[in-house]
Amino acid sequence: MQRVFARSVLDAARTVPDGVTSHTGPRPKRRFDVYRNNVYVSLIDVLAGRYPVILRLVGDDFFRAAARCFVEACPPRSPVLMEYGDGFAAFLEEFEPARPLPYLSDVARLEWAWNRAYHAADRQPLSADDLAPIAAEDVPRLVFELLPSVSVVSSPYPVFSIWSTNISDVEVEPIDLASGGEDALVVRPHLEVEVRRLPHGAVGFVSALAEGACLAAACERAMAESPEFDLQTNIAGLIASGAISGYRLPGGTEI
Amino acid sequence: MDKSVKTASTLAVAGAFAAALTMVATPGAVSAADQEKCYGIAKKGENDCKAGPGTSCAGTSTVDYQGNAWKLVAKGTCTTVKTPHGPGSLTELKRP
Amino acid sequence: MSVPPEQHDDPIPARAGVGLKPEHYADILDGAPDVGWFEVHAENYMGEGGPPHHYLTAIRSRYPLSVHGVGLSIGSDGPLDRAHLARLAAVCDRYRPGLVSEHLAWSTHDGTYLNDLLPVPYDDETLRRVAEHVDEVQSTLGRQMLLENPSTYVQFESSDLSEIEFLTELVKRTGCGLLLDVNNVFVSATNHAYDARAYLDAFPVEHVGEIHLGGHAEDRDDGDARLLIDAHGSAVADPVWDLYAHAIARTGEMPTLIERDNDVPPWPVLEDEARRAERVMRARGSNRVSAR
Repeated sequence: MQRVFARSVLDAARTVPDGVTSHTGPRPKRRFDVYRNNVYVSLIDVLAGRYPVILRLVGDDFFRAAARCFVEACPPRSPVLMEYGDGFAAFLEEFEPARPLPYLSDVARLEWAWNRAYHAADRQPLSADDLAPIAAEDVPRLVFELLPSVSVVSSPYPVFSIWSTNISDVEVEPIDLASGGEDALVVRPHLEVEVRRLPHGAVGFVSALAEGACLAAACERAMAESPEFDLQTNIAGLIASGAISGYRLPGGTEI
Repeated sequence: MDKSVKTASTLAVAGAFAAALTMVATPGAVSAADQEKCYGIAKKGENDCKAGPGTSCAGTSTVDYQGNAWKLVAKGTCTTVKTPHGPGSLTELKRP
Repeated sequence: MSVPPEQHDDPIPARAGVGLKPEHYADILDGAPDVGWFEVHAENYMGEGGPPHHYLTAIRSRYPLSVHGVGLSIGSDGPLDRAHLARLAAVCDRYRPGLVSEHLAWSTHDGTYLNDLLPVPYDDETLRRVAEHVDEVQSTLGRQMLLENPSTYVQFESSDLSEIEFLTELVKRTGCGLLLDVNNVFVSATNHAYDARAYLDAFPVEHVGEIHLGGHAEDRDDGDARLLIDAHGSAVADPVWDLYAHAIARTGEMPTLIERDNDVPPWPVLEDEARRAERVMRARGSNRVSAR
């Protein structure tokens, strides 16, 4: 019974299932449509809450139509809706009407990273004082533990600028796509999720650290990817953003 | 890698690390460097036990926006993002 | 089954409570309003960390808390989602709620979560399955749960029990309690053309542990009959307040929740509704002795 009911709820082209009835007549379409609406409208609302910048960029009609298609293609697989919508960025990449807006999927990736950070496990960030006792000869072998909320989003479009003006400005700033790509760091050091624009080369550096590379190896990777990479600024930025929650030395100290 | 080069880079990494700690401890130094920062907004998109708004809307339409038969036009702030092809106008999609 | 002893240390008082929304975290912590308790949807506190846990921990340290699940799909014709039940148990361990409740409904099929409270037929097969699921929840949580009567928009030809017969038998088999949603009574009674007061008069009130009050929206069905929708987007309607007074005269003073999930208004609006519920409760609830 529930298989047929669920299929009919998800697909409005199907008829109302046999055995469903009401005091005004059998197989009542308008009554059954209440369930169809509840499912789609509530899930579209969840996505609208999760992707406020995408919503503002494309407007209500476009967003709800796109979200409707996404829900149909990828309905939730868990009752915990804070986990729903992971695939929306990939969906937008393939969504035909979104083709002229090629930056949308990277903005969606940034919004998902924000959601992830919001619900990630809490850790206390380390301060410069916490790191001061490390002996100079140990520094290159340091392996950092980053906060669970940390992620980086790298884009050939000015994704940070697009996101920040749309999330916080009453009147959005004009943005020139030709101004080049931007990378963003998302982290929640305390209660507030923070999004920071990363300097050139930082994506490779932070990604390498997140994968467990030691400081020297992460630095090498960053320099290979971007000759402008500046180690001092990047370490300072990472500490100041509260992204480091611990460190260890291979075979030694752990904090 | 040559041993002396390796030692030099080891020194460079340690030096940058020490300088970074000083930099973080100096008020304003980091934000002046590159720390453009922005917050988000209070979170929505929760579980609840409400129902939708009635019998005739999103759940009952069966429109195929993936095809090119339907016009779906972005009417948000995307028009302030200047793309090489002009602002996002999504009418009359053509498929190869 | 025999229900294990309650282990919570902070019972829900016979007062009005309010459904907790993130919009009101700051109002509640800063203003310390005089409401009896709060209720949360369990699923919104199943993340690992972040603001939801921070604020709920602070609010829980000042108020009794009820945990209301919306995603367990107790009415499913397949097995319960054990991983989800474990998450619910973790929320209960962490926040030690005074009451734990869920719905007589299903929402998951074949692993797809439909995010709505879908209806079940009232027959022996469903009764047996729901009773098994309630047993499983109660033994996993180590406590009694309350099950809520649903708002429904359709009925099933295969139903051969009334909703009240179904719930009464379920209580008998499992020892669970009931959450009486008075708005749901009004919605379902209107939608299926039966008398809401007669429903309340037949309801097994001795097993009610909590009452819900919420708003509904109005539409028309295929035959142009009134069709009410459990939208939780407006104030409690006047006929639902009347029904509440009728219900509370039978149940006696009873924890009563003001629910608002859509178009959440400023905090004082909900606080006012909670006060109104307490006035009704004080005026009518003392009749209980004669009602029993």
